Parts: sequence; structure tokens; C-alpha cells
Amino acid sequence: MFLNENIKDQIKPVALSVADVRKSFGKVDVLKGIDLKIDAGERVALMGPSGSGKSTLLNCICGIEPVDHGSIHVGGQELSGLKRGELEKVRRENMGYVFQSFHLLPTLNAFENVEFAAQLVGMPKEHRLARVTDLLEQVGLSHRMDHLPSALSGGERQRVAIARALVHHPRLVLADEPTGSLDTESGSQVLKLLKSLSEELEVALLLVTHDHESTRICDRVITMKDGALLAG
Amino acid sequence: MGHYFLLLGIVAVGVGAFNGIRQASRSASANFGLFNQAVSGQSDFLIESPVQRLLEEDLAKLTRLSKEPDWHLVPVIEGSVTAVKNGSEDKKQLRLIGLDLLALGNLPTLAKEGLKFSDEDANWYDWLGSKNEVWVGQKTADLLEVKQGDSISFLASGRLVKMKIRMILNDPDGNLPDDLVLADLPTVQTLLSRPGELNRVEVVIDQVNRREDTAYLNDIENRLARELPQNLSLAPTQNRAADRAAMTAAFRLNLTILSLIAILVGAYLILQALDAAVVRRRSEIATLRSLGVDGSILFTTYVLEALVLGLFGSVAGVGVGQVLAFGAVGMLSDTVNALYFATSVEALNLTSIDVIVGLVLGIVFSLLAGWLPARDATQTPPAQVLARGDWSPGFSWLRSPVIGLGLLLLGGIALLFPPFVMEAGSNMPVGGFLAAGCWILGAALLSGHVLVLLAGWVRPFCSGPVFRLASSRLRDGSSRHRLAVAGLVVAVSMVTGMFQMIDSFRGTIEEWFDVRFQADLYISESGVTGAGTVNGIDPRLMDELLKDPNIKYADVMRICYAKPPRGVTVLAGVDMKHWSDQARQIWLKAPGSLQAVDGAEPALVSETFARRFGVMAGGVVELGTPDGTKKISPFGIFCDYGNEFGMAAISSDIWSDWTGSDRPINVSLYLRDRAKLLETRDRLRLAYPGLDVRNERELRDVALGIFEQTFKATDALSFIGLAVAFAGLLLGLLSIFDESTQTWQTLKHLGFSTHGFILAAGLEGAGIGVAAWVAGAITGLALGWLLVFVINVQSFGWTLLWTVPVESILWFGLLLTVVGFVSGMIAAIYWNFRR
Ligand SMILES: Nc1ncnc2c1ncn2[C@@H]1O[C@H](COP(=O)(O)OP(=O)(O)O)[C@@H](O)[C@H]1O
Ligand SMILES: [Mg+2]
Repeated sequence: MFLNENIKDQIKPVALSVADVRKSFGKVDVLKGIDLKIDAGERVALMGPSGSGKSTLLNCICGIEPVDHGSIHVGGQELSGLKRGELEKVRRENMGYVFQSFHLLPTLNAFENVEFAAQLVGMPKEHRLARVTDLLEQVGLSHRMDHLPSALSGGERQRVAIARALVHHPRLVLADEPTGSLDTESGSQVLKLLKSLSEELEVALLLVTHDHESTRICDRVITMKDGALLAG
Repeated sequence: MGHYFLLLGIVAVGVGAFNGIRQASRSASANFGLFNQAVSGQSDFLIESPVQRLLEEDLAKLTRLSKEPDWHLVPVIEGSVTAVKNGSEDKKQLRLIGLDLLALGNLPTLAKEGLKFSDEDANWYDWLGSKNEVWVGQKTADLLEVKQGDSISFLASGRLVKMKIRMILNDPDGNLPDDLVLADLPTVQTLLSRPGELNRVEVVIDQVNRREDTAYLNDIENRLARELPQNLSLAPTQNRAADRAAMTAAFRLNLTILSLIAILVGAYLILQALDAAVVRRRSEIATLRSLGVDGSILFTTYVLEALVLGLFGSVAGVGVGQVLAFGAVGMLSDTVNALYFATSVEALNLTSIDVIVGLVLGIVFSLLAGWLPARDATQTPPAQVLARGDWSPGFSWLRSPVIGLGLLLLGGIALLFPPFVMEAGSNMPVGGFLAAGCWILGAALLSGHVLVLLAGWVRPFCSGPVFRLASSRLRDGSSRHRLAVAGLVVAVSMVTGMFQMIDSFRGTIEEWFDVRFQADLYISESGVTGAGTVNGIDPRLMDELLKDPNIKYADVMRICYAKPPRGVTVLAGVDMKHWSDQARQIWLKAPGSLQAVDGAEPALVSETFARRFGVMAGGVVELGTPDGTKKISPFGIFCDYGNEFGMAAISSDIWSDWTGSDRPINVSLYLRDRAKLLETRDRLRLAYPGLDVRNERELRDVALGIFEQTFKATDALSFIGLAVAFAGLLLGLLSIFDESTQTWQTLKHLGFSTHGFILAAGLEGAGIGVAAWVAGAITGLALGWLLVFVINVQSFGWTLLWTVPVESILWFGLLLTVVGFVSGMIAAIYWNFRR
């Protein structure tokens, strides 16, 4: 196995590797053999027309949708064959997720929303409080920590969501059109944050996006069409 | 589709419970008219004395009337006997009716239809002298396992008598009630030790084909009334059935209210279920909205759905009601037997009014239940707005405390209403019931605030993600959480209130027993328990019994009905000296603390009596007795939980003067040698098989047995209420989870475990249970107070000692918490499974 890898791969461990993944819903083949590898700390933009299967791929990677064929490794761990509980464990420890429509827990305030993800992985309290405060400061929301999501603007919510996706030191952050519901100004702010934080924390990022602006924060752009990745 | 059948079922059960109870209680307590219909055709008028007792001299005064060709007079005596099944211990209480067979033979209907009273006798006059012979219907014969010519043993007025079955009445349509025994008038008078007495005289018009002719009937009524002696009254037959129904009015009112509550809870379930449908289709509705579909169309659609549900559900409910009525009628008639008078379970009939009432109730409540979800659907924002978060706009009014507080206040004001006086003289505490309704509803509306408050207190102590999630969701108190709590609060408060009333009642009665029943042995006519039955013991038998050498003192009691200005009450003849000085009572006003008015007979009266006739502070009450109207005046008031008609006790001599009778109803014995108590008891039992001889312990068991019987229906209904409330909780939780789909999706992406989800759901359910318990128990305490100090005092006239069953309430809280927890988990598992 080592023989086939190049030197760069040996230095930087792989955050995500997807090999020949296929998925169909009934008769519709949505993913038709996807191969993808993302290195630790690498940022990859995934583009493609809507309906091409981008969200489905993300769901497969985080283990919410089972695949029909192929294998997915996250942080060196093969997902297929894991039990539901083990999948949940991989998901909460190794991945972060950013949604288009934020999806903060509506009954928890900003601080608690971020803290929640840290709690799920059992981060000790002292460390956790410091880290959440720190991250919220980095996303520029230290003055909004005790606000409920409903009292925050779209951009602010997405920044909380980013903090939440990163708080537990994941290897991989999946972001499904994170700027899709935002105005240009907040959108670029969110992208800037994603870039700087993933750089600083050495987190791999798979960013689904529609606009070319967004791809600028990424190291690499891949395109999907009709359930397959286009070469290049 | 299955969903709709469930909803239909809910409507059907709600309507069915109401209809079933209505029918059952009606047939269990008002089957008076039956024997007339079955035996004599229908009688048209009744001649009665105000105290339900006619004497021979009254009959003599009717001689002239009896000679008129336009009508026939049928003297009737009625009482209860207990049949002892041959060769067994089985006893059955029967209604014994004595008829003047001679008069019966003249009846045109009988002559026409030829109801046979004998096989071998060619002529009606052969019936005469049918001493010691009885007639029973086919059903009674089957029940007692007897045939024509068999002998049958009765316990009557304290004696065991054997009668011969002259004939089993041909009853192909099954019209005769299964507790009916007919005999010749003198036979019954002897059996009941009521020589020369009648209950009433029935009047049957000769030209029965003119029954529809009101003018003719009015004319007959006028002619009869003109000739009637002063102390007797004339009434159309239907009134008598109404009288009897009125006697049990309070009891039936109680049941009606309980069954209405069943419908209300059913409506709540429907509301929850329809609402769940709206929540599940929320995004579809939102899409329709954003496509510009008008809110009123959505509203109409949902209301129509509720209407269809209500219609089909209540049609099914009428059927369900029939089934429930069959089940309930036996239980209810036992209660009526125990409390009021001998009755049987005939005539379970479905009238068109039942059908209409059932349909109207079902539809109205379904529409009410459908209205809120329909409104909620209408207020669903268009899809683009909906995407932002969790929604339940139509119920946002649940968040305002104003309506709830207003209702609590209104309830308080309602307490100022005076009770409404009903036909038979019993009181209906309108204000009390109104207050109960307002308080329950108000508390239900405010319970959401209790939930939020409690969750707010608990929240700082929740550290783990699961606890924190659950507590934050409860603290947020979505309208749907509030709705779920509200439904439970209604059930919890009612059940806690009922618990308290029953406990208070039981406690009071036990206390009363401890004080009141100090004698060694208690003797009464065997088999008869109802407070409305005034048969009694043969005086000669009593004299003989009292000769027993071990008796030191006998407190003999005699009772009869007396006619106050309104309704009916009980007049007792007792040893006044013993009652004032020796007999222990719980005295509300000790003898002598009130001054009896000069010129009126001094009396000791029960609290119920004093309250009903407004003599708590002394005064005079006029009572109609067989000897005319008499005045009595209380000089003491005692507590009595024996009957709700009230009782006035006067000296035995005066009682006998007024009633022309000296037939005792019961006697309490004080023994010389108490060590020989059991021996004496057994001796008396052996010598007098027709009497019940009990010591204090046994009497207490019987009384408490009657007590438990009375509350059986209440218990059953509370249980149904609770079960329905829990079903509502489950539905409510499902709605809550449906409404929070986005939250669960987020949690799933965060790697929140399924176990965590189920646990959090359980905690949410438990939180709802605890909040409902806190709000419900507080409301329940208020209801308990209301039941004990307002409703009971006003409707029955007795004050109970308020007992709060703290332990039961705590256990109930634990139960609610556990059930809430389990319901939450079940709902979560089901929800998870459905995804
Ligand atoms: N749960 C599902 N069941 C059936 N079809 C699905 C499901 N999820 C996605 N699809 C289909 O898969 C295709 C790809 O969808 P998606 O991955 O959401 O596309 P994208 O995110 O690229 O817009 C679409 O045609 C969609 O209809
Ligand atoms: Mg997508």
C-alpha cells in the first residue's frame, strides 16, 4: 500500500478517503462510483449542478446514509461494517458539519450550542469552557454568547455553527453550501473564518458550493455531475 | 388510513361513554312504569298520599269513585322481598307488587289480551283467595330456577316465608322485569307486615282507545280530582316515574358530569390527533401557502375533516354506547339498590333522543377539537419562512396567562352562586360545578407556565448534554409542550380531587361509625339495604325478639317518608331520651343547644335535614304525614351520612300517632352480658332467619361495602380518564417530536446517539409528567376543597372531614413521572422507527 502512495501522502495522513462509492435510491443511481481523497488539513471545494448528488455524498461520508458499494475511511477508520453506535461515535469525534440553514439547537444559546458538541465527545469541563470561549471569540461573537439562535442574524448563526463544527477537534469538516442562505458580506466573512480556522486547527474541509468565489479558500476544486466526479 | 380509524375510535369511545352511562343510569333508576305496561297495559293516573302510604280508611273514601264506569281503580302495594334460592345461600332482592286481582280482572286491556293468571281456573274469580301464592315472569323464574307449582322462600319483614308459584306469567316479548313478583293484595300486606296499607291506587280509563284524546283525559282528571279526599293527590302516571328519577337525580348528575368529562378528554385526544396531522403535514401546508393557497381554504379543509370524523365517530359511538351500557347497567343498578331503592336492569332502550344527543355531542366536540389545529394550519407561514425553525403558530395563545388567570377568578366568583333547587327537593350546586370547570380549565391553561418555571429551576443543575437538551426544551416551553401538560393537568386534577373526596368520605364515615355505633348488636330486615326502602320488621316479631334475656336495652327505630313542602324526607320515631342523653352522635348542635319552638314537636334532625329546610339555627318545618300536616322543631342537630334526603327524629309515641303504625325498621341492642355477645348473636340469627343480626364490626363492613359500591363508577371513570390522558400524552409527544424534526436531524449530524435521543425524549416526557403533577395536584387540592366544602354540602347537606391523601398524591406523582418517562421513550422509539 505504501508503495503506491506518493511522499506527500506519507507525511500528511489522509483525513478522508472514498473509494468507488455507489448509492442509489430505488432505481435512481445517485452516486455512480466516487473516488476521493482528502489529506489532513486540506480544503476541497465540491461543485456541481443541483441534484448531482453532492449532499448525498456528504451524508454517506458522515455515515447517515449507508452506501451500496465501495468504502469510506475517515481518519483511517472504515465506516462500512460499523454498528450504528460506532458510526455515531466516529461522527461525533472526527467530523464537524455546517449546514446551509445553520441548524443550531433553538433552545440552547450560542455558547451552549458550541459547548454541546464538545460535551458529546466528553471534553473535560475546564478545558471545554476555555475552548468554547476561545472559539466564540475567534468567530467574533464573544458579546453574543448568551443569545438564543433566534436572536442572532444569519451570519452570526453560521459563525456559531462553524465554532460548533470545530470545537471538538475534528479531522474533517463537511460544509453543505454554508453561504447559501447568507448575503455576500456575511458569506465572505464565514468563508474567511472557515479558511483561517481550518488552517490553524489543521482540519480538512469538504465544502459544497455553487459559486466560484467560495472556491478561492480551497486548495483544490472537484466537480460532480450526474453522480460522478469529473476528471480534473 | 389506520390513523383515521384510530380517530374514529376515539370519538366513538367518547360518545359511547356518555351515551352508555346515560342509558344505563336511566334504566337502572327509573324503571317504574314497567309493571304497568306489562301487566295492566298502561295506567293513566295515580292516586297517592303525600307520604306514599294509603290506609284502609282512605280506600273507603274512594268507594264512590270506584263505581264510575269510565275508569277502573287498581289498588297497589309495593315493597321489596328477598328470595332465597332453594338449597343455596343465593339471595336476590325482588320487587313485590300486590294487586287487587278482582279489580284487575275488570280491566278492559286484560280482558282483551287475555293475560292468563291460571291454567286450571276457568273464571277470574277463581283467583280469589290465592293466599300464599305468587306469580312471576319467565325471566324471574329462570333466574330463581323455579317452575309452576314450586315453592319459593322469601325473606320479608323479618320472617322467612314459603310461597307457592301459582303460575309463571306468559311473557313472550320479555316485557316483565326480572325482579318482579306479583301477588294478591292481602298476601303482600301480610308478607310486608303492612296490614290495610297501600302504596297507591292506579287509575285505568275504560275507553283505552281515547288515550290520545287530551280533552277527554282532562275531563276524566277533573272528575277524579273533584271527588278525591283532601289528603290524597292525583297525578298522571308519568310523574311517578319522574319522581323516582328525581330521587336519584344527584347520583345521576354525578355520573352525567363524569361522562361529560370523558367526552371532554376524548375531544382533547381528537385535538391532539388532528393537530398531529397538521404538524406532520406542516411542510406540505407551508408549500401550499407559498403557492398562494388561501388560509380559509385550509381552515375549511381541516374543519370538514373534523366534521366527517365527528359524524362517523359518533354514529359508531352510539353503538359503542349500547355495549358499554350493557356493561355498566349492572354496576349502576347495584349502586342504586344500595343507595336508594330496589331496582332491576330492564329497559335498556335506545331512544331517538339518545341518538341525536350522541351525534350532536360527537360532532360539536369534534368540531371544537378540529378548530384549533385548523387555525394552526391557517397560520402556518409560507415555506420560505417556515424553513427558519420550529413552529406552532396556532397555539401561541397558550403562552399568555391572561385567559387562565381570568378563568380562575371567574371560578371564584361562581362560588357565590346559590345552589339550584331541583324537582325532588335536592340541590344542584351549579356554582360549585361551574367553579370546578373554570378552575380545571384555567389551571390547564396556566400549567404551561408551571412547566417553564420548573424547567428553569432545574436547568442550572443539568450538566450532561442529554439533560441539558431536555431541560432547555422544556424551559423553552413550546406551545405543544404546553398543550400536552394541559391535557394531563385536567386528568390529574380531577383524579386528585376525586381521591380526596372519596378519602374524606371514607374517613368521615369511619369516624362517624366509631362514635355513632356503640351498641352491641344491630338488627334489621334481611336483604334490604337501600336508604329509600322503608319496609320494616313485623312488630310482633320484634316484640318476641326483645324478650331475649340478654338484652339490657333496645333502641328501636321506626321510619317513614314525610312530605316537606318540596321533595321528600324521612321521619323517624326513636326513644328521645336515649337519643338525647345516652346514644352517642357526632353532634353539630348538641341536644338542647337549640330551643324547640313552642307548639311544634321537638325533634333531633340530621345535618342534611337542617340544611335542606334552613333550620340550622332552629325553627319550624311543616311535614305532611298520614295524619295530616305536622310541625316539628329541632333542638339538636346530628351528623348522618345514611341518606341524602335528611332525617328528623321524633319520639316514638308521637311517630305512631302520626303514622298509625308501629312497625320498626331496625333496632340497636345493648346487652347485659357483653361477653356473650357472639353467643347471643348466633342465637338470634338462628331464631330469626329473616333478620340480619350484626355486631358493630359487621355493620361497619356492610356500610363500607355500600360506600365502595357507590364509588365504583367514579373509580372506573377516573381510570378511563387517566388512560385517555396518557394516550393524549403519547400523541402529544409524537407531535412534539414531529415539530422538532429539524432539531433531531441536527443532532444526528452532530453524532448524538440514538440512545441519547430516546433518553432525552424520556426526560422530556417525565418533565411534562412532573409539571402536570405539580399543577394538577395544586388544582386537585382546590377541587378537593370544593367537593368537600361546597359541592357535598350543597347537594347532600353534609360536611365531611377534609382528608388529603398525601401519600396517594405522592405516589401518583411518581407514577406520572414514570409514565411520562416511558411515554417519552415510546414516542421517541416509534418516531425513530417511522423515519
Ligand atoms: N432520501 C432520498 N430518497 C430518494 N431520492 C433521494 C434522496 N436523497 C436524495 N435523493 C435524490 O438524489 C439526487 C441527488 O440529490 P442531492 O444529493 O440532494 O443533490 P445535490 O445536493 O447535489 O443538489 C436527487 O435526484 C434527489 O432526488
Ligand atoms: Mg444539496
